[in-house]
Formats: sequence, structure tokens, C-alpha cells
Amino acid sequence: MKKLLVLLFATVLVLSACSSKSDNGGNKGGNAADTSKITVWAWDPNFNIKALNLAKEDYAAKDSKLTVDIIENAQNDIVQKLNTGMSSGTTKGLPNIVLIEDYRAQSFLQAYPDMFFDLSSYFKAEDFADYKLGPTSVDGKHYGLPFDSGAAGVFVRTDYLKEAGYTLADMQDITWEQYIEIGKKVKEKTGKNWISLDPTDLSLIRMMTQSTGAWYLKEDGKTANIAGNEAMKEAFEVYEKIMKANIVKPHADWSQLVANFNSGDVASYPTGNWFMPSIAAEASQSGKWGVAPLPKLSKTPNSVHAASIGGSSFYVLNVPGKEKAAEFLGATFGSDSDLYQKLITEVGAIGTYKPAAAGDAYKQPNEFFGGQKVVEDFAKWTAEVPKVNFGMHTYAIEDILVVEMQNFLNGKKLDQVLKDAQSQADAQIK
Amino acid sequence: MKEARAGMGIKARTNAVSWAFIALAVVMICIFYFYPMIQALLMSFQSGTGTNLSYVGTENYTRLFKDATFIAALKNTFIYLIVQVPIMIVLAMFISVLLNDRNLKFKGFFRTAIFLPAVTSLVAYSVIFKYLFGNEGLINTMLLKLHLIADPILWISDPFWAKITIIVAITWRWTGYNMIFYLSALQNIDNSIYEAARIDGASAFRQFTQITMPLLRPIILFTSITSTIGTLQLFDEVMNITKGGPGNATTTLSQYIYNLSFKYTPDFGYAATVSYAVVILIVIFSFLQFKLAGDKNG
Repeated sequence: MKKLLVLLFATVLVLSACSSKSDNGGNKGGNAADTSKITVWAWDPNFNIKALNLAKEDYAAKDSKLTVDIIENAQNDIVQKLNTGMSSGTTKGLPNIVLIEDYRAQSFLQAYPDMFFDLSSYFKAEDFADYKLGPTSVDGKHYGLPFDSGAAGVFVRTDYLKEAGYTLADMQDITWEQYIEIGKKVKEKTGKNWISLDPTDLSLIRMMTQSTGAWYLKEDGKTANIAGNEAMKEAFEVYEKIMKANIVKPHADWSQLVANFNSGDVASYPTGNWFMPSIAAEASQSGKWGVAPLPKLSKTPNSVHAASIGGSSFYVLNVPGKEKAAEFLGATFGSDSDLYQKLITEVGAIGTYKPAAAGDAYKQPNEFFGGQKVVEDFAKWTAEVPKVNFGMHTYAIEDILVVEMQNFLNGKKLDQVLKDAQSQADAQIK
Repeated sequence: MKEARAGMGIKARTNAVSWAFIALAVVMICIFYFYPMIQALLMSFQSGTGTNLSYVGTENYTRLFKDATFIAALKNTFIYLIVQVPIMIVLAMFISVLLNDRNLKFKGFFRTAIFLPAVTSLVAYSVIFKYLFGNEGLINTMLLKLHLIADPILWISDPFWAKITIIVAITWRWTGYNMIFYLSALQNIDNSIYEAARIDGASAFRQFTQITMPLLRPIILFTSITSTIGTLQLFDEVMNITKGGPGNATTTLSQYIYNLSFKYTPDFGYAATVSYAVVILIVIFSFLQFKLAGDKNG
């Protein structure tokens, strides 16, 4: 028995030694020691990965010697791998280029100040939408090359609207209250729910708050701005009205969310333009969709019909091969208008590179959306998105807000809700 | 005299050889267990973002007591502990007694069937539970079709039902695992004790409470300690089924540690503090259970 155990132990040791060896080999291959090859990490095969592949094809014509290795990881996995890699102080196994969501960007840039490569000299920052530059830079240095716009609009079933006696024109320039009224009418006439919501995701609150130029944090990106934040207060009130209007179909994850629309159960959804491919995936609904501008808050001044949600940008890590990686980004996403046209026609990805908006692809009518020039509309709204400093703590604060939102919906006084959230946030982020 | 010296020499040599054998294990345990533990302890007195950690004294520990999320996670963990562990232990004991019946046919089949959940991957079964308990999942569809409920139950998005879902899931996953311990213990109980009891006219219930339970005491202690530790470390199910939501109605200490390290701007120092809170809790609970359930040989 003992002999057997010893044998087993020895086998395990040998096996693990072998596997770690091959691991090292793999890392070396993927790592930057070899500068004729760069590695890119991103998520979402239908969107970011497709876009990167287009850029790779594009760049092959300019520098055929560079191999670009695009690796798909879930966003959470990327965040986790970056955190463990960077905090352990080793760059082994980390990629050259990584996609990071704008909400999280500052958290990485400030927590690991030496790990990112300054891209300021590789692209012209003024060519990009202003609101993207806040999250991607620190002290005037641009560490991120802005990618997708994340500009928000309302995807809406025009056929349901018609049944309720409305057209897409009635959705222009409205407030959230009017949005809810239309929703009630649609529900009454068609029996379809108006909006799909996940109670643990406050993207509506984020959009409403940003549409006024305010955010969870003050402009320094460090102090919580919850109690006394008029925009957030009104956003909470609107959220409650939506929840209590009996027009919501709940979802718990991404696949349920998409299913709610593809099955035709839900009529509208205010979200980022990156949702377009998911809507268009249901070919049978072609011609039945339209996109309206984001409604605005009625009480808070400065609220506009634009906000961004969930956009992301590319970052170059401070590892060997960084110059090559920066050149790659600069030559593709940083300056190539033609690439941006392809991104629209082939991926449906809307960038934030301003010169590209003059291109043809931006003006094409989209048959799925009843001939509406959706890309042009989104590009227009992209230009109107207020610039805010997302700071380092979007998700930490959102987790606090989600809890307080439940309390609010269960009858707690709004002022108290915001005050409690503020004091929790103050304790959490410092 | 000479012989004695030679004997000592041999003894010393044997000692040296034996030490050499365990030295490797000792060194490895020190490097891979004790060193990280001490590092984590040191880290729990630091705070900061990412790699910018600095010593803050006991501030992290005082922060724990004011941290609403930590307290909520602690509360949830206690609810799981108080509700789920007893249910599971009783169920495991009950099933094992049934399966130990001499007259039962297809024993092997039933034992395998009940143990099988314990070999499934935590993530895989969590994902399946999430779909079973979805708003339009199998459970709701069944209950609706049977007219037991009028509206679908929000298993995942209602704070109360979400806890129930988690409890059902972990009970399903771990009951069979605990049952195996009871089954093996039951097979070690001499059947003549039961025969004697039957001759004395003891009912089946009396046999269970007066013979089976006392003889299973060490196993009850063992399973309740391992289950308690398991509950305090609960992560996969909550992460995959409810993500800790709605709000933080189902979040656990382990998930909070994960969030502090990976979801928010990383504060590994405070995350280490929360992990040490878990360590302290496990020590306290194990001690209590030893005191309450253990006797001289327990």
C-alpha cells in the first residue's frame, strides 16, 4: 500500500513537472520576447474579435513580418488574469495588447502605473471623441487607443409602436416619463412588455446619470458623488416608475436578455450600439426594428439625449514588443478610415474615430432597421456624449447601489437611500 | 560499553536518515503552506490599490465591522449554515439508514445514484440549476402546469427565493457526499447490538435514536465540521447561479473576497483581511462543534 502511494506521489510529481515545463514553453511562445509576434486579448467573438481580425488583415499589407495572435477570453477572465499577473510583478504570459472596458480602465491604469505603455505619440488624440479620452488617459498621457463608441440609443419594435398608435417619430426628443407612457400604451395594446431589465444591473442609472454630465464619482474620479447628486436622484425615481409601471420583463443573464428580444416578447431596450448584432441575429424580425435617441431626464438640467455604455479601448502593456504593438494599433484603429468603414459593414462596430464618420459606410441605410441610417445616427449621438471621469470605482459603487436600489423599491426613502449609499461608498473607496 | 556506543551511533544515523526523508515534505509544506499564510497575514494589515500596498495597522480589521457588504455576506453565510447544514446532515443520515437496510434491492444502483451529484463539476451543475430555476425554467413551467402557482416564482431575482435556490442546489450537490461517511460508519456497527435491542422490544425509531445516533456521533461531528467549512467557503454556486444577487441577498464571504480582488479596483490587503475573518470563523466553529458534540474520544 505504502509502495503504491509512493509510486502515485512520484507519478504526480513527474507529471506536474512535465506539465509546468510545457506551460513555460507555451508562455514563451505567446510572450513578447520574440518581437516579430504580438499577442492580443479581447472578448466577444462577434464584435471585438471580428474587428481585430479585420485590423490584422489590414496590417498584413503594411508589415507582413509581424504575426498578430488574437486570443479570445471572457471579459471577466481578462480582468482576473491582468490583476493576478500584474500584481505578482511578472509580465510572463501577459499579452502585448489588451482590450479593457472604459469603466475599468482607470482602475488598472492607476493600480499598476508602470505596466502600461504611453501611446500618446502613436495616434492623434484629437481625432477621437472627447468622452473616450477621459477614461483612457492619466495626467495627459494617453495609454488607451479608443475603440468602440458605446453610444446609447433605444432599440424599439416599430411594428408594436404602430399597433399602439405611435411611430418612431414619437420617440424623438422625449423624456423618460414619456418613454414610460408610450411603454404602458404598447403593453395595453399588444400585451408585450416594454423593456427587459436585470435587477442587478444598473446600466439605466448609468446612462441617465451620464446624460447630465454627472457620474457616480466627482470629477476627481475618487470621491463618491451619490448623496446630493440630482441626476442620480432623478434616475432612481425614473427607475422606480419603470419598475412599477408593469412593463418590465426581468432577465438574469445575457442569453435571457437576447432571447427576450429575439422571441419578440419585449418591445424596446435602451442600450449601447454594440447590441445591434444581437438584435439583428433574428432575421425574421427584419424591418420591424428602429433606433430612437436616448430619452432625457426632465428635472435635471443639462440632460442630453446621449450617453455611452460599456465601450472599451485598446491598451499596450509595458512588455517587450510594445513598440510593435503600438505601431500596429496606430496604423489600424488609430488612423485607418477605411478600416472603420469595414468595421461597420462587416461587424456593425461603431468606432470613435471622427474622420471615419465622413465615410460611405456611415451613411448606408440599414434594411433590418427599416432603412434607417442607424450608423449615422449613432455616430451623431457619439459626438454628443458628455465627457465624465468614470474613475476607479464604477463596479464597487454599483454593487452598493444595487442593494440600496432594492431597499428603495421596497419603500425606503430616497434621500436616505442615497445618503446610506454615500457613506458605504466613502468607507469602501479610499 | 562498546556495543552501546555503536547502538547509539546507529540510532543517531537512523534518526538522521528519517529526518532526511521528511525534510523534503517539511520544507515544501513550509514554502507552499506556511509562507503564504504568513504573507497573507502581513497583507491583511496593508491596504491600497493593486501593487501600491502600504501598512495601515489594524484599520482593515476595524473596517470589517462597519462594512455593510461584509456584514451582509456574513449574514447570508450564517443563513446557509443554520438552514442548510442541519437539513443536509439529517437527510444524509436518513438516506444512509435507508440504504443500509439488509432487505433493500438494487443497493448499488441507489447508492451510486445518490452519490453521483458529488462527482459533478461545481460550475457545470450550477449553470444547470440556473436554467432549471430560471423565470421560464423547468421548475416554474412544471409548477405552473400543475397549477400549484399562479405566477412564476422569481427563483433567481427575488431575495428570499434566491437563497432557497442556493440552499436547494448545495443540498443536492453535497448530501450524497456526506451520506457515504454515514454509510461506512453504519456498516461498522455490529448487527448484534440491533438484534439485542429487538429482543428487548425496542421500536425502529428507538433503535435509531438510542443506538444508531450515538454510535454515529464522531461522523456527525466530522460531517458537520467539514460542511461548516465548506459553507464558509461557498463560492461557485453563488457566483454562477445568482452572482450574489439580487442586490447582495445571496453573496458570500468568498465571493466578496473575489469581488475585492478582481471585480473592483483590486485591494488585495483588505481581501486578505476578509479571508482571515473566514479563518477565524472556521476556528471558532470547529472549536464549538468539538465542545458541543465531541466527548472524550470525539
